[in-house]
Amino acid sequence: MKYTIITLLAFFCMTTTMVAQEGTDQYEIQVDGLGCPFCAYGLEKKFKEFDGIKNVAIEIETGDFTFTLPSEANLSMEAVEAQVVKAGYTPITTKITRADGTIESSETTTMIADNATLTDKNISVAGKCEMCKARIEKAAKGIPGVAEAVWSVEEKTLMVSYDANNVTPQTIEKAVAGVGHDTQNVKALASTYENLPACCKYERLEQ
Amino acid sequence: MKKSIFAALTVLMFFSCKEHPKSWQLSQMLEIEGVNPIGITHRADGIWLSDGDHHRIVRIDENGEITETIDSLDRPMHIATNGDELLIPQYGNDEVLRWKENVVKIIAISDSLDAPAGVWRDGKETVIADFYHHRILYSEDGVDWKSFGSEGTENGQFNYPTDVQLLGDEIWVADAYNNRVQVFDKSGTFLKKFGEAEKMNASTGIYVSKEQLFVTDFENNRVLIYDHEGVLQQELSENIEKPTDMILVDGKLYVANYKNNRVNIYDWKEDLNPKKSKNKEVNN
Repeated sequence: MKYTIITLLAFFCMTTTMVAQEGTDQYEIQVDGLGCPFCAYGLEKKFKEFDGIKNVAIEIETGDFTFTLPSEANLSMEAVEAQVVKAGYTPITTKITRADGTIESSETTTMIADNATLTDKNISVAGKCEMCKARIEKAAKGIPGVAEAVWSVEEKTLMVSYDANNVTPQTIEKAVAGVGHDTQNVKALASTYENLPACCKYERLEQ
Repeated sequence: MKKSIFAALTVLMFFSCKEHPKSWQLSQMLEIEGVNPIGITHRADGIWLSDGDHHRIVRIDENGEITETIDSLDRPMHIATNGDELLIPQYGNDEVLRWKENVVKIIAISDSLDAPAGVWRDGKETVIADFYHHRILYSEDGVDWKSFGSEGTENGQFNYPTDVQLLGDEIWVADAYNNRVQVFDKSGTFLKKFGEAEKMNASTGIYVSKEQLFVTDFENNRVLIYDHEGVLQQELSENIEKPTDMILVDGKLYVANYKNNRVNIYDWKEDLNPKKSKNKEVNN
């Protein structure tokens, strides 16, 4: 009889644990290249405002930020991204795996026509760090017709590969300036520049 | 003939005996397995490192082996010592601990902190870098506090201060994202600044000796060394990756590297291959 009770109790504990694990949502956010531990820990600190947050992990080099929350929190994609912005950073992609297996994702795919002929161009873009890199590349890749965008921290140059029938270099420069980075022909608004994280405050370019 | 040979030997001896200028030269690199050091300090029992990624501080021996761990901390940053007491600023929960053989005191500040990144305590005199508030807190007696600084780029303003040190009548501050070091008197009056000419990118850590200022240029993977007048004396970059803090112990310079799990050790000795002197920075 004793063994039966112990077995039942053990089964009950296991079931409770499993339910508790199942009752959590998994959040995976790629933040625009957290450059240093001060930035990374700061982001984490701002998310502590959410009750029940657990399993927080931050990869500083890649900007991968993951955590879990109890399902009842039901934190939306918009709320997560707003909190990242509140902490002073830019979310690149967000993926939420709900407890019931449902996946929500903000990832978008690049739209390029199959028969498109791609043109390569280097554009001077001001910036300083890995966070700048992530932000600049995201802005450029977000334009329909841009197949590739790679910004060099050392060279301060954005290499873009784009469909010249659908997009112009001017469009790309405007998009990049729109997120706070001066380009060779387009200057970012002072207010946008001022809102960049501290470590991204580069020396302004003269157009 | 004899005289000529004697004269030649004398000249040769003069040049061979001529002293070379001294500089910091890398002598040893300690691999600290599993530790991403941010702060470094020294107590009588050895070198201590803060390992914010793993919520702990560790003591290491001369081979880099961990000999003691204090864990369950919340993102400890630029640690310091005051006698046999360890000072631990916890970025994650806004507390600064005074730790002495398992007796832990929390430095009480009525005006709450937001991410204390650095602390220094000398006797009862204490100074704290309050990261998100862009200010420095100073107390002469450890009880009554005054603060100075605000967010900005002007002299006396800060852009996320990360490290502090008391030296004599001065407070030295790593003004990290203004990419400079600022110096104040104890009333918070701005005195001078360093480093803007060197185009630092995140001056996250400082150590000030009686003669020199050491600054970590985090993103540029280098340590800059100035005299107290702001003249750049040396730049260390060999085997430095994301440096965060430094300390002098028994005449040796220790540099903590966040990225490569290393502490580099430098000796102050004659430089047989001196490089050209660096730029001069004008203060004030």
